[in-house]
Amino acid sequence: MINLKFKLNGEKVSVKTEAGVRLIDLLRNNFGLTGTKEGCGVGECGACTVLMNKKAVNSCLVLAGQLAGASIETIESLAEGEMLHPLQRNFLEHGAVQCGYCTPGMILSAYALLDENPSPDEEEIKEAIAGNLCRCTGYKQIMDSIKATADELNSKNK
Amino acid sequence: MNNIEITIPKTLQEALELISGGNEGIGIIAGGTDVVAGMRQGSNRFGGINQLVDVNHIKEMKGITGAGGIVTIGAAETFSGIISNKIIRKELPLLAKACGTIGSVQIRNRATIAGNFVNNAPCADTVPVLLAYDSTIEIKSLAGKRELPLAEFLKAPYRTQLNSDEIVTSIKVPLPKGDFKGDFYKLGRRRAVAISRITLALLIEIKESRINRLRIASGAVTPIGTRFNGIEKEFEGKTADEKTLKAIASRLGERVIEVTGLRWSSEYKLPVVQQICYQMLYSAVYGGGK
Ligand SMILES: Cc1cc2nc3c(=O)[nH]c(=O)nc-3n(C[C@@H](O)[C@@H](O)[C@H](O)COP(=O)(O)OP(=O)(O)OC[C@H]3O[C@@H](n4cnc5c(N)ncnc54)[C@H](O)[C@@H]3O)c2cc1C
Ligand code: FES
Ligand code: FES
Repeated sequence: MINLKFKLNGEKVSVKTEAGVRLIDLLRNNFGLTGTKEGCGVGECGACTVLMNKKAVNSCLVLAGQLAGASIETIESLAEGEMLHPLQRNFLEHGAVQCGYCTPGMILSAYALLDENPSPDEEEIKEAIAGNLCRCTGYKQIMDSIKATADELNSKNK
Repeated sequence: MNNIEITIPKTLQEALELISGGNEGIGIIAGGTDVVAGMRQGSNRFGGINQLVDVNHIKEMKGITGAGGIVTIGAAETFSGIISNKIIRKELPLLAKACGTIGSVQIRNRATIAGNFVNNAPCADTVPVLLAYDSTIEIKSLAGKRELPLAEFLKAPYRTQLNSDEIVTSIKVPLPKGDFKGDFYKLGRRRAVAISRITLALLIEIKESRINRLRIASGAVTPIGTRFNGIEKEFEGKTADEKTLKAIASRLGERVIEVTGLRWSSEYKLPVVQQICYQMLYSAVYGGGK
């Protein structure tokens, strides 16, 4: 057992855990953050995507013992109280959520993209979500939601 | 997998001391994209591990610098770090391209360059490119350091020359001097059936309509990444016309068969490899596609 300290959704946390536990299990089992989903468990599907030091990573491939000092953000950090993040709202409005299993990971990949590149073109959006599989929507609605969010955030910042 | 121990050393010295401490179950972890996925799938290559040394926070193993015509890439540099680096994009475009095809953004944000060729899967995409660029790697242990060409370091699929008390610290890529043109080509996804996977890296320099220098390396078509020095020598000095380019492509196909020992997939792969090689040579020499 180790005593692990890191930053989770903006707050300093500490937890007793085995070092070899995967980040996804730590989030779901120790912190009850079940928005992060497990699909394939081997880095292929992106359902488990979280932000680690602002970059999208697969939480099924990161071990707890590698975290020391890292800052992790999960889907639960996006909404402010009852107010959804524009990405979340646009995903709903554009019909980009069907079964919803891919949605948290998809939104976090989009979030990391917009954080780095506020005006991505279609190719850049495709590349950013290429590691997130969706079996329901066919991606068009997802692309539209991300584009709409970028436009919305850019017009606000003018 | 849960009850392993993980240490995060801040210096190379600390890391080297850890792996020389006599624990046979100790291993190195960088991005973990092979190690964690492998342990999860019960791969026996990672079966005996009870302690992991995380090399992601060792300064000496990070960063990309260019000096004296050589680009030095820290072994623990991620693919995302490599792709976004200006020197690499400008001077080593084949490497930028190959790294950009690996996995997904999430994988590239974690996976490291040394992890790729130390793992040495037949489909390690940086290997053909690093071979075409004549890369050497630097390895350190408590006893000292050694530098050797990547081509010598790689032994067989999933096997390298790395000893258990050693860490790869950097990759040195000499900037190609001269007017090289070339490309990296990749067909097929990593987990797609092996038959459909092909990777080739190719650099060619033309002087006064002759082939001055030629470098060809393959990935997934051969058991491990392979440089074709024989073919390079055979065609250097020859007139760079379509007939010669066709002859090179045809020789490459023959060599691939020799190296792989005629596998059942060759029948399909052979014409494809030859066609791809010819197209790459053609657009390098004449510009544009064919
Ligand atoms: C979903 C998915 C898709 C992928 N797609 C591709 C692809 O398209 N193309 C491709 O080429 N690869 C692909 N890969 C594999 C690729 O991610 C790895 O080969 C990666 O480069 C390994 O780096 P890592 O830092 O994650 O290594 P790790 O998993 O941490 O380590 C891999 C091996 O290298 C050793 N090691 C790591 N660093 C050092 C060092 N500095 N010195 C000594 N030993 C070291 C480790 O001990 C281990 O044996 C994919 C993987 C996944 C999970
Ligand atoms: S569960 Fe992590 S990528 Fe599929
Ligand atoms: S909405 Fe069902 S997988 Fe994407």
